[in-house]
Amino acid sequence: MTTDDSGSETQALEDLIDPKLSPLIQLPGSCSEKPHLIGSKCKSCKEIFFPKRVICPNCLKEEEVEDILLSNKGKLYTYCIVKAAPLGFDAPYAIGYVDLPEGLRIFSPLAECDQEHIKINMELELVVDKIREDETGKAVYGYKFKPASL
Amino acid sequence: MRTVCIIGVGMTKFARFPESNVIELGRTAALNALKDSGVDKKDIQVAYAGHARTGQLYNRECGVGQSILWELGISGIPISSVGNFCSSGSTALRDAWMAIGTGMYDVAMAIGVEKLTGREGKGRPLTSDGVELLTVMGFSPPVYFGNVVTRHMEEYGTTREQLAMVAVKNRKHAGPNPRCQYREPITIEEVLNSPVIVGPLTLLNCCPTTDGSAAAILCSKEVAGKYTSKPVEIAASALSSGPYEKCKDITSFKSDRQAALEAYETAGIGPEDIDFAEVHDCFTIAEIVHYEDFGFCKKGEGGRLVEQGMTGMDGKIPVSPSGGLMSRGHPIGATGLAQISEAVWQLRGAAENQVEGAKVAFTHCAGGFQDTIELGDVQSSAVTILKRGW
Repeated sequence: MTTDDSGSETQALEDLIDPKLSPLIQLPGSCSEKPHLIGSKCKSCKEIFFPKRVICPNCLKEEEVEDILLSNKGKLYTYCIVKAAPLGFDAPYAIGYVDLPEGLRIFSPLAECDQEHIKINMELELVVDKIREDETGKAVYGYKFKPASL
Repeated sequence: MRTVCIIGVGMTKFARFPESNVIELGRTAALNALKDSGVDKKDIQVAYAGHARTGQLYNRECGVGQSILWELGISGIPISSVGNFCSSGSTALRDAWMAIGTGMYDVAMAIGVEKLTGREGKGRPLTSDGVELLTVMGFSPPVYFGNVVTRHMEEYGTTREQLAMVAVKNRKHAGPNPRCQYREPITIEEVLNSPVIVGPLTLLNCCPTTDGSAAAILCSKEVAGKYTSKPVEIAASALSSGPYEKCKDITSFKSDRQAALEAYETAGIGPEDIDFAEVHDCFTIAEIVHYEDFGFCKKGEGGRLVEQGMTGMDGKIPVSPSGGLMSRGHPIGATGLAQISEAVWQLRGAAENQVEGAKVAFTHCAGGFQDTIELGDVQSSAVTILKRGW
């Protein structure tokens, strides 16, 4: 029963995620209790990409690129506070670039980031959270980083 | 490559023209450039039209150049569209330069046009073209540049006041220029206290929404004397896409550095030889980063350069004497050729806000983002160096 419940919860969350972001996110489930981003690594040159690439741009080999789960911890490289938001987004919100230990610097909305306390280099962790509403007012989810729990 | 000259330029006023359309705007600029050059319309052998949003906004992906020139009786020649983000107009100029430089044609027109007031989403920032992944997460150009500001402040101690000084300077430069959308002087306090768009950037740190068009007539140096005693030579034209780089430094654009380096080498000059520059000041922080990337100052010194007045009219290198994108506005595809037009008038000694004795000009446009989540560089950077050809 427990497994079935968690499976349907995962499915419910999966349905809320923006379809463009869905292939990038591994929800909590059998592999891990925490969400992860899905990147890719070239088996030949070892370079890591996010989002995943089909062809390694260094080696130009398709069959060499494999999916990998990226670290769900990162460090804040820079950020800004959006006041004039695109349609569907609830301002103000923080958005920035996060450094992952794999040597990736990635774009990410930030959750639970109090404007007074947000700081470059702060430790962050990945969460799946609401990013905006669609035209019908339905919540659309994606990934975010929030301050890491101690 | 043989030497190519600009022998005529023309613009519309840059402003909000809600009743106008891209064909009318383009027609006016093209006609002004033709008249300025003294070239007969029958002598135009090839034309390139830069526009970036006419497809998305007006269902005119192609054929903008043909439609504009049809109205002026220019037809039956090769005409094509050039879409390259904010560098569309500069890239059209570069294509015309190559067409003549290689010896294939003798006389060409480059035109840039855009109408942005018709877009939906008034009061919201223009979203970037072709970046679906980033856009669903809340990305827009001011978000990118807001991130640049925070990091630049952290690493180099750049201040909000220094950013504001770019806006104040460029607005002051626009005062005498009738083609600018905004000409009234502003103060540092007004910039700081204007509504926050993407903190730390306030409204007056961002270029406005604008319609407009600009055009240039180019020919080989051999025939330039037939039309004018003051041909302006294209000493260099360089274009770069954004190089892919792991953990890119957000406070510098490698594409801009590459384009500038190539342009300096081709022209055989360095930043110290430039009399003035028209750079892509889409946001105040962008101009500060450009100072550093183009060698007008050392890395990290951009904020102090503007604070010391070095990029004002009396400084060692006046930047955006026309008023820049901050005052003129930024109808995307038109901006590159507006910079070229203003630079040509400066070199002829005919600008309203004249840099005394200007002989060498540097112009720069850049824009566009890669649809990837890893931090990327701008996807088009165009640098043009112009000099007096007399």
